[in-house]
Amino acid sequence: MPEVDNDLNLNKDKENKDHDYWRSFRDLFRDKSLIEANQSEFAEGVKDDFEPSKLSGISRRKFLALAGASAALAGVGCSDYRSKGHIIPYNKMPEEIVVGNPNYYASTSTVCAHSCGILIKTREGRPIKVSGNPDHPVSKGKTCAKCEASILSLYDPERLKFPIKKNHNGEFNKYDWKPIDDEIIDILNKTGDKQIAFVAHSVISPSGKKVLDDFTKKYPNTKIYSYELFNEQNRNSAWEKCYGTDVAPLIKWNDAKIIVGLESDFLGTDGNKVETARLFAEGREVHNLEKFNRLYVAEGSLSVTGMNSDYRFRLRPDAQYEFVMSLLNEVSKSGVAVPLDAETLADYSLENFAGKYSLSKKNLKLLVHDLVNNQGASIVYAGRTLPEQVHIAVNLLNEVLGNSKLYRDDTSSINVLPLSKYEEFEELVSQINSGNVGVLIHYDSNPVFHLPHDLGYAEALKKVHVIISFSGSQNDSSVLGNYTLPINHDFESWGDAKTRTGFYSMQQPVIDPIFDTRQKEAILLTWLKGKPVVYDDMIYHKYLMDNWQNNIYPSLNSKMSFKELWVAALHDGVVIFDEAPQSYGSFNKNVLTELQSNSKASSNYLVVLRDSYQAGDGRFLNNGWMLEFPHPISKITWDNYAAVSHTTAKELGIESNDKILVEVGNRKLEIPAFIQPGAADKTITIELGFGRKTIGVVGTDVGFDANILRSKSGGVSHWVYQANKVYKGSGSHKLVSTMEHTMFAEALTENAAKKRKIIQEGTVKEYRKNPHFIETEDPEKMESLYNPHAYPGVKWGMAVDLNKCIGCGECVIACNAENNIPIVGKDQVAVSREMEWLRVDRYYSGTIDEPVTSNQLMLCQQCDNAPCENVCPVAATTHSPDGLNQMIYNRCVGTRYCSNNCPYKVRRFNFFNYRDHFKNSYQQSHLFSLVNNPEVTVRSRGVMEKCTFCIQRIMDARSEAIKEHRPLKGSDVRTACQDACNTEAIKFGDMNDKESEFYKKYRTHELGYYVLEDVNTRPNVTYIAKLRNTESEEV
Amino acid sequence: MNRNQNSLYGVAALFDSPDDILKAAKKVQADGYKKYDVNTPYPVHGMDSAMGFKASKMGYVTLFFGFAAAAFILGFMWWTLAVSYPLVIGGKPFFALPAFVPITFEFTVLLGVLSTVFGMIAVVFNLPFNNHPIHDTNYMRNVSSDKYGLVIEAEDPLFEQDKVVELLKSLGSKNIELVYNPEEEKYSIFQPKFLVFLGIIAVLTACSTYVTLNKFMYLPPFDFMLNQNKGVSQEESSFFYDKREMRTPVAGTVARGYIPYAYTGETDPKEVLSNPLLPTKKVLELGQKKFLTFCSPCHGNYADGKSRLMGQFPPGPTLHSQRIINFTDGQIYNVITNGFSIMPSYKRQITRDERWAIVNYIRVLQRAQNPKPSDFTEIKEINKESGKNVPN
Amino acid sequence: MTKDYSVELALVEGNPPLRELDEVISAPIDSRPSHKYHIALSITGSLLLIGAICVGLTFYYGIGMWGNNIPVAWAFGITNFVFWVGIGHAGTLISAILYLLRQHWRTGIARFAEAMTIFAVICAGLFPIIHVGRPWLAGYLIPYPNQHSIWPNFISPLVWDVFAVSTYLTVSLVFWYVGLIPDFATLRDRATNKIKKTIYSVFSLGWRHSNRHWVHYEKVYMILAGLATPLVLSVHTVVSWDFAAAILPGWHSTIFPPYFVAGAIFSGFAMVSTVLIFVRKVFDMEHIITLDHLEKMNKIILLTGSMVGYSYIIEWFMGWYSGSPFELFVTLNRAFGPYAWGYWIMISCNVFFPQLFWFKKIRRSIPATLIIVILVNVGMWFERFVIIASSLSRDFLPTSWHYFKPTLVDLGILFGSFGLFFTLILLFAKTLPVISITEIKGVIQGAQPTHGGEHES
Repeated sequence: MPEVDNDLNLNKDKENKDHDYWRSFRDLFRDKSLIEANQSEFAEGVKDDFEPSKLSGISRRKFLALAGASAALAGVGCSDYRSKGHIIPYNKMPEEIVVGNPNYYASTSTVCAHSCGILIKTREGRPIKVSGNPDHPVSKGKTCAKCEASILSLYDPERLKFPIKKNHNGEFNKYDWKPIDDEIIDILNKTGDKQIAFVAHSVISPSGKKVLDDFTKKYPNTKIYSYELFNEQNRNSAWEKCYGTDVAPLIKWNDAKIIVGLESDFLGTDGNKVETARLFAEGREVHNLEKFNRLYVAEGSLSVTGMNSDYRFRLRPDAQYEFVMSLLNEVSKSGVAVPLDAETLADYSLENFAGKYSLSKKNLKLLVHDLVNNQGASIVYAGRTLPEQVHIAVNLLNEVLGNSKLYRDDTSSINVLPLSKYEEFEELVSQINSGNVGVLIHYDSNPVFHLPHDLGYAEALKKVHVIISFSGSQNDSSVLGNYTLPINHDFESWGDAKTRTGFYSMQQPVIDPIFDTRQKEAILLTWLKGKPVVYDDMIYHKYLMDNWQNNIYPSLNSKMSFKELWVAALHDGVVIFDEAPQSYGSFNKNVLTELQSNSKASSNYLVVLRDSYQAGDGRFLNNGWMLEFPHPISKITWDNYAAVSHTTAKELGIESNDKILVEVGNRKLEIPAFIQPGAADKTITIELGFGRKTIGVVGTDVGFDANILRSKSGGVSHWVYQANKVYKGSGSHKLVSTMEHTMFAEALTENAAKKRKIIQEGTVKEYRKNPHFIETEDPEKMESLYNPHAYPGVKWGMAVDLNKCIGCGECVIACNAENNIPIVGKDQVAVSREMEWLRVDRYYSGTIDEPVTSNQLMLCQQCDNAPCENVCPVAATTHSPDGLNQMIYNRCVGTRYCSNNCPYKVRRFNFFNYRDHFKNSYQQSHLFSLVNNPEVTVRSRGVMEKCTFCIQRIMDARSEAIKEHRPLKGSDVRTACQDACNTEAIKFGDMNDKESEFYKKYRTHELGYYVLEDVNTRPNVTYIAKLRNTESEEV
Repeated sequence: MNRNQNSLYGVAALFDSPDDILKAAKKVQADGYKKYDVNTPYPVHGMDSAMGFKASKMGYVTLFFGFAAAAFILGFMWWTLAVSYPLVIGGKPFFALPAFVPITFEFTVLLGVLSTVFGMIAVVFNLPFNNHPIHDTNYMRNVSSDKYGLVIEAEDPLFEQDKVVELLKSLGSKNIELVYNPEEEKYSIFQPKFLVFLGIIAVLTACSTYVTLNKFMYLPPFDFMLNQNKGVSQEESSFFYDKREMRTPVAGTVARGYIPYAYTGETDPKEVLSNPLLPTKKVLELGQKKFLTFCSPCHGNYADGKSRLMGQFPPGPTLHSQRIINFTDGQIYNVITNGFSIMPSYKRQITRDERWAIVNYIRVLQRAQNPKPSDFTEIKEINKESGKNVPN
Repeated sequence: MTKDYSVELALVEGNPPLRELDEVISAPIDSRPSHKYHIALSITGSLLLIGAICVGLTFYYGIGMWGNNIPVAWAFGITNFVFWVGIGHAGTLISAILYLLRQHWRTGIARFAEAMTIFAVICAGLFPIIHVGRPWLAGYLIPYPNQHSIWPNFISPLVWDVFAVSTYLTVSLVFWYVGLIPDFATLRDRATNKIKKTIYSVFSLGWRHSNRHWVHYEKVYMILAGLATPLVLSVHTVVSWDFAAAILPGWHSTIFPPYFVAGAIFSGFAMVSTVLIFVRKVFDMEHIITLDHLEKMNKIILLTGSMVGYSYIIEWFMGWYSGSPFELFVTLNRAFGPYAWGYWIMISCNVFFPQLFWFKKIRRSIPATLIIVILVNVGMWFERFVIIASSLSRDFLPTSWHYFKPTLVDLGILFGSFGLFFTLILLFAKTLPVISITEIKGVIQGAQPTHGGEHES
């Protein structure tokens, strides 16, 4: 364009004449294109008037015009477009949300008293998954199954949606908050000198505690009773007697060489399992044999801890005292100073003891030998259900062996509000009966179900005029009251928690209350404000912040401003600060008198009540995932049962599923029996938490309530009772399990797992002697008709370290939550149609009395030569370029041939549309379906499904990598099961990355083997064989 | 069928025993008749030689089509599994020959049989042929039951009615019949009946197809996995009061990686953040991109306030004013985040890093607009090296 | 009575004139159905109805209505499929192989056997479709160009099945129809009723019994027989590969093809006898379907039965000889595991009872034959069931073992399939000539020229 050139020059001259100013270097040097750009601010061909005919072929507008026209045509053409409803975007998009991407919120779980730190995954403000908070000093990024499953109760369609009040003829009616608040405030003000009693579970929140204190300030005659169905009271009281401080110390499990568990399931339900399991597993590191610990367990019925023991003694709990004393006797014989007079000890001889309970003398000797030779490096740990006396003896034993070295000195437990003693509850009941209790508040608790029935609590309730229950849904206690106030779920609540010295744990909501519910503290605060009642849904949030600002923040002497600290605290979910752990005094010799009394075990039937792996203390009895979660030992679902040894079963003349009657005192229970290998004779072990009367549709008629056997005065302990009669009941009750129990029944099937090299095990000694003792065939060397396909780039693989896998099954629930796995119900489990993609196979070997248990995680092995793929007629399951065995749901026609041809039987088939089939489409309610992972297909009936190595996570990682222009690494992906595994037994990574830790340390480990190698399926899941730390060289 | 008495088809004779017919056939063949046929209720042995047939060649048809089928199906399987849509299946190669054998065999047989039978009936026999003259004759009725018949056609060059009748009589036939051709019947596809019929068929097909594909397949149980019950982004919710499946986070909560901006809502905070990003090439390019996208419409491409919205919209101020040059990075960031007078907050559109990048780019623009003398020399140096001619 | 088997017997006792044969054979077609017929039809019809209802339930609610589970993902559905395919083998075998072997005695029963083949294969063909629970997706198994541009997996034995069974059905139909054409012509020419006449005309394609046609016709019939023979063997071979191609212990076995084919012929002949015994009574054709026919069939049953028994023994040998713990376990588990009852039913019905046919008395006694052939059918059904269910219920990993119990729906569908089969048989017997008129005419004495014919009769 010459003219442009000209006036360019003109400009130039002109500009040069007057002031020489320029706007940029390019401008300065008269960059032509720029000047043109400045003159026409729009790009070429954009500014001129719009005439498609004139436009060049590549013009954007022309393209748009044509596109528009064709779209319009298409629209007219496809007149039968099926509406999928409106698209509803955010009208004010929150800064942290990108539609389609997840957010994570650090919070704290309060489903139990351990306050694990959790990360809640949300999609567009909807919580969809719970996993551990890696910054939390105790749980270190792990949680337990119950915590993962608690999200179901958030989306439970049967939650209480509004306050209800009982009318004169005993029915509950819907009410608004306002009138209820007014009424109750009046009542509270009118109670006068009558008692206002709170019945609560353990309070772990300092601010929550403060609310109660404020309440007490306003209503001085308030009294707070707190309880837990299972608690540490015996341990703590024993400790107090021995060492003078009220809380027993924590244990350095990771440093222990010898661990002796006495009726303690510390890897399952006893204490903070998440932490204990992690520390225990550190002592099972196959790459560090020096640190390998040895676990002795003496217990009445097989527990998770028992399954992992190297030596196990079948021992009825009431013989534990004798056992400990005999041990004391033995160690004193072998030269350890025991401050007990000889004649006391003399009564206890390990010899006789072994004879009496037919325990292996050899192993007992070994135990004593180990204890004596590992002084200071061994720990004896008594279960919380054992009586105080045992704990005292155990404390003594640890003391004399110098094992107090293993008591943790970095932190110690803290009780924000110590639990009430049973006497206090008796006191409460008598108070009620004498009419001194004006108002009774069930503070999110269910005492009618939990407290010993002979306490007469339920009856006493009739005498209280005002009973207010704070609860997420109606429970056995609230139905007996007159007000039930719906409270927020954890994920809708604010809070803080303190269970250890050295840190606070923060709780923040991830979704606004779904229904017209309130947080329990907020309700109290509203009442405290008095009339006129104005509820503000931020009320407790404000209160919490104030409490922190005024009381807690100063005590932290942090350098941050409060605002910064608060935000950081919510962000991290924890506030860590320096705080001295509780120190304890020296051993108090006076308690030894407690050990004088010689209490030998009786020979009656013994009833042992245990904490449930599935239902907790009953709080999870309406949670489908937990009820369908196979019991870690028996794999039984949807029921609890009386575990008995097979000799006892013979005595009683029963088989599994037959009902037995158990009589303790005047209390009677009929419950189906189950023959548990490795159970002690004449011991009947029952798990509590089942058989709730008032509960939602899921938990109705599930299990049997064994609480009724408990007594306020307790038996051997509050959880162990001598039965005065046990006999065969009438009829039977089918217990359904995800595994058949025929292993010991037939000669054909005995020890099948080891005969078939499904389970390969060795001992530490054997491994030391010959690291390659595992019989494996190198797949590369195996003959194959065809050359294998090459997998350039990433090839996914998994390794399961069976030394660390304790068989707890947390991974199963994590998998359910991640992969939208439906609940199928008892009837379907009965016909072996459970849908869990991931299962923990449990094999017994040895004898039915002394079974050796082996656990094995079983999931899709993603075989290179996948037999399932060959037989699928429609290519609905094929191999992906990164070595995954893919399942294409909408291509599957349901011939089920793949399942037949899968040697691992890890494929699951939707025999029904289970969301519709289970409890008349309970799972299809809109609310429930919000729990489903949007990234995972919700399979319908007739479709085969299976583990995909969490393909959706792999894809997320891949897109991240692409965004950041870097190659995808194996370590970028963590599967849901891997995340959940408390002991890091599951490793996942890229097998082509020869440098990765995964490849070097696990994939190619000399203990690694594949299941069913001789079928030559070439699996991509390696199992690191379990080493048992026994003296002998073979298992 | 009604027959045309003027056009004779042929003379048909019935015989009682296989021997007679065999004899007759031999004689007729010997006399040199070509257009004659023998009808017997079942194949009579020796008849083919008597009538002087050669062995049937149908076998070759089967052979040819059989091999063709085999070749086709093998090629097809290779194409589908190895070319059209190759999938790794059970670690087998794409072309796994042994697995293809069964289907190849089956298909060979299938096509072999069908081609042979079709070839025989349609091509060789030219059936169906239901109005052949000898149908519905007494002759036909007998030969299809228990008699053996021979018919000599009128079209045969040697045909003379009386001679033929004589001949057949002499061969011992007691039952001789003259067969006349049927009347010609005219059929046309344009008959209204037929067209109506076609129409009905068309409509029915269309309707059934439409209903099946657009209505039927969306009813249970056919609609499996069509609408999955899970929360989907931007979907309408039948549960929440505001019809939103997407919820907003609770006020005051802190998501991982999203520590809220400390000075939200404060246009002129006391203290501000410091810039975490260094002005690297990457950062500046990002900054430029975002600046041109979000800032330039008001502030102009060079942040000099000369924007394309000039006049249509209250102009954005130049960012080269001393006041803004004196702003700390944090203050500029604060303005972008919180907005300033009529400038709205951009925190939702622009991520935090991008905001810092923009700040850096603004700094560059400012520097470029107000260079120090030293900059000249620097630039000159640079350009000398790059050999550009520099005006002075 | 003793017979001298060196001389060919009269195939049709009493040697009736040809026209009388027409009468006899088309009597059932022309006459109104009798009481017996109505009763029979109502029974089979109601069985069929029950089956239909059960299938409906399955399609609406899903396979969950059955007893299937993981590991036993296949059970009744596939058992019935294999069973019916097996039944379907006798027909083509009789009409094709015996034809090639010039066994003229086949003419009396060939037509009927072929019809049974077709009906049996129809029953069989339904089961894979029912078995997937969502039949509207069965089309995915057929290689047609679709919008996913994805094809069936030709490596899968199930796709082989699709081809094998559909080919077998088509070929049998063609074979059967080709045989029927001349009979249709005969019926057409003796029909008085106008409608009947039209129908027969259409089906007869205007056949004229012309010897210019017979010459090709016979050739083609020979070719069809020649092709059908390997086909009939291949079909059950392919079906057996459904199991042999899998890696499951108890399925993964090379003896399956011959073992299955023998079994198929065994059960097929048993079923043919079962039906014939009734038909020849009901339609009084004792002189066409003679005792000699039945005896010959019994001999074949005896032979194939022994072959099946031999395979059972071989299985034990393989179990031991393979040296694989899984194989050995499966063999033992079948005989003594949870499905022992099924195993012993199978052994007794398939191995012991047929051996009675060594005795001529039993061979030639109708009631004894009837009882034994029915037992054989039961036994053969159980053979398939044992192979499928017992192998699946206890495979590699003991943790996934589970027992299979059928539900009412399972049984309903099983009986339904019998209902369908016999309903079709009854309809066939009433509408089409159950014996090939043409062929039977061709083989009675005096049907062929006494001299000049270069053939041996």
